[in-house]
Amino acid sequence: MSEAEKGASKGTMISLEKVRKSFQRGREQLDVLAGLDLKIEEGSFEALMGPSGSGKSTLLNLIAGLDQPTSGKVIIGGADVGAMNEGQRANWRASNIGFVFQTYNLMPVLTAVENVELPLLLAKLPAAERRKRAEIALRAVGLEDRGGHLPSQLSGGQEQRVTIARAIVTDPKIIVADEPTGDLDRHSADEILKLLEKLNTEFGKTIVMVTHDPAAAERAKTVHRLDKGVLAN
Amino acid sequence: MGLVTIAVRNIWRNKLRTALTLSAVTVLVIFFLLLRTVIWSWTASAEQASQDRIGTRHKVSFIMQLPARYVEEMRSIPGITKVAHASWFGAKDPNHTDDFFSTIAVEPKPFLEVYDEIKVPKDQVEAWAQDRQGALVGDVLAKKRGWKIGQKIVLQGTIYPGDWEFHISGIYTADSPTVDRSTLWFQYKYLDESRPPRLQDQVGWIMARIDNPGRAAEIAKAVDKKFEDRDIQTLSMSERALQASFLGMVSAILRLIDIVSIVMVLIMGLILGNTIAMGVRERTHEYGVLRAIGFLPKHIVIFILSEGLFLGMLGGVIGLAIGYPFVQKGMGPAMEENLGAFFAFFRVTPELVVISFLLAAGLGLVAAIIPARTASKLEVVSALRRVG
Repeated sequence: MSEAEKGASKGTMISLEKVRKSFQRGREQLDVLAGLDLKIEEGSFEALMGPSGSGKSTLLNLIAGLDQPTSGKVIIGGADVGAMNEGQRANWRASNIGFVFQTYNLMPVLTAVENVELPLLLAKLPAAERRKRAEIALRAVGLEDRGGHLPSQLSGGQEQRVTIARAIVTDPKIIVADEPTGDLDRHSADEILKLLEKLNTEFGKTIVMVTHDPAAAERAKTVHRLDKGVLAN
Repeated sequence: MGLVTIAVRNIWRNKLRTALTLSAVTVLVIFFLLLRTVIWSWTASAEQASQDRIGTRHKVSFIMQLPARYVEEMRSIPGITKVAHASWFGAKDPNHTDDFFSTIAVEPKPFLEVYDEIKVPKDQVEAWAQDRQGALVGDVLAKKRGWKIGQKIVLQGTIYPGDWEFHISGIYTADSPTVDRSTLWFQYKYLDESRPPRLQDQVGWIMARIDNPGRAAEIAKAVDKKFEDRDIQTLSMSERALQASFLGMVSAILRLIDIVSIVMVLIMGLILGNTIAMGVRERTHEYGVLRAIGFLPKHIVIFILSEGLFLGMLGGVIGLAIGYPFVQKGMGPAMEENLGAFFAFFRVTPELVVISFLLAAGLGLVAAIIPARTASKLEVVSALRRVG
């Protein structure tokens, strides 16, 4: 068992060990993450900050199992996600990760409750059970009366709350949020941050949030600053 | 809710584009129905020709005449049970010179014995047989011209110039849809006695009923053998082969229509493919989100193929909903009435309805294959970066 895997078994939810991520841009190799080590405890609320191009989103993609490291280990909840193939990572994401995107990314042709129900289509649950769980998730974000509305009929803050309901409907261990308040006014942003705090404190979700917003970062228990692919703190 | 439901709803994301695509598919389905019906209608007479009839014509050409005595001589050939002859007359109604209908001289009773699918009340057959100038007209032609039994009509001869007076002795119907119900049959005696002596005692072609459809080729050969040493030789064949030889003269047109209908199918596929590809490209980011939350490439493929299939099915249904009544109730009766000699039965067959629908649906599915394949191969991170 590697150090990272040992760490995971002691309450570490996310463990990255000497993680490098490089991209090829023509003849040039771009090293976005340069041998990064990171440990995040279970039930933690962490913010990733840094200038554009510092590698925040790339790091988040690795934690979420959307991408693979060029080298190093990515152990999430005891699973070596970095070593999984695409199909394994998709299945793993479906049950372990909830996504909150900056631009909400709801399906415009589906109502709020149908959007929340979407990840459950992979769970092979009866339709009634899927709908029941989606309604519970919507209630958890305070939108039980907006279930039948299309995204175009909701405000930005409401759309983001639907996205959070979609992220928690499968009861994942980790929620990754990429600039969750980036498109919102201050009032709506505060509501979303309160909701994320609630998910962290009341439901024990581990939250990793990329943000440029210092006010949003203040809500996190730990703030990691990235610069040129390495953690500054 | 399932993947298919989402795919179906996605079709209406861009209502104008979908409406234009469906309109194009609808028009193409209508034209496809029309062209295939033209081909079917033209070839149906050959395909549905009687199995137990053979036709005999001049060996050189259709337009050359046979000696009338051959009719009697053919009766003695083993296997032949009934014989009738016919001669093309060619006439026009002076009040409607642009309207074409067939005018053919026959001997009433032998003709109706050989062509027993033509139905005429017995008293009308008797009246026709006893009146030298009597004529039997199809119910479609009679209705179109407003002709009644007992009415005298005058036609202008084209091959045999002059005014020809006929008496409507009967109106026929038919129990086979491929029988032209716009023909005027009249007494051969009237034609033969009225034309110059040098043209008398000649007939256009001879049709015979045979006792065994399986021996059609053999009996046809026996007929030709009987006349092979004469000045005028014959060419005999089954009615189906005879009809097919008629079709051979228009085979180039049929082939062209065939090609045009195939080109239409290809255009339909391209239109559907373009619409699906545009929609998929615009939604790349959404597919990225779906992949991120755990959907697999195969789900994306199902998603896009369902969209293509449904779009094709919808186009097919709308096309048939408009095209079927258009051909069946509008064009069909008009073609049968005005061009009955070529299109005795111009209707959409149930098989063509099924084929048109399956074709539209299948094309939608096929057109979605490449966009589906492309979308399913996208890396999640790249797809998430794409906007619109």
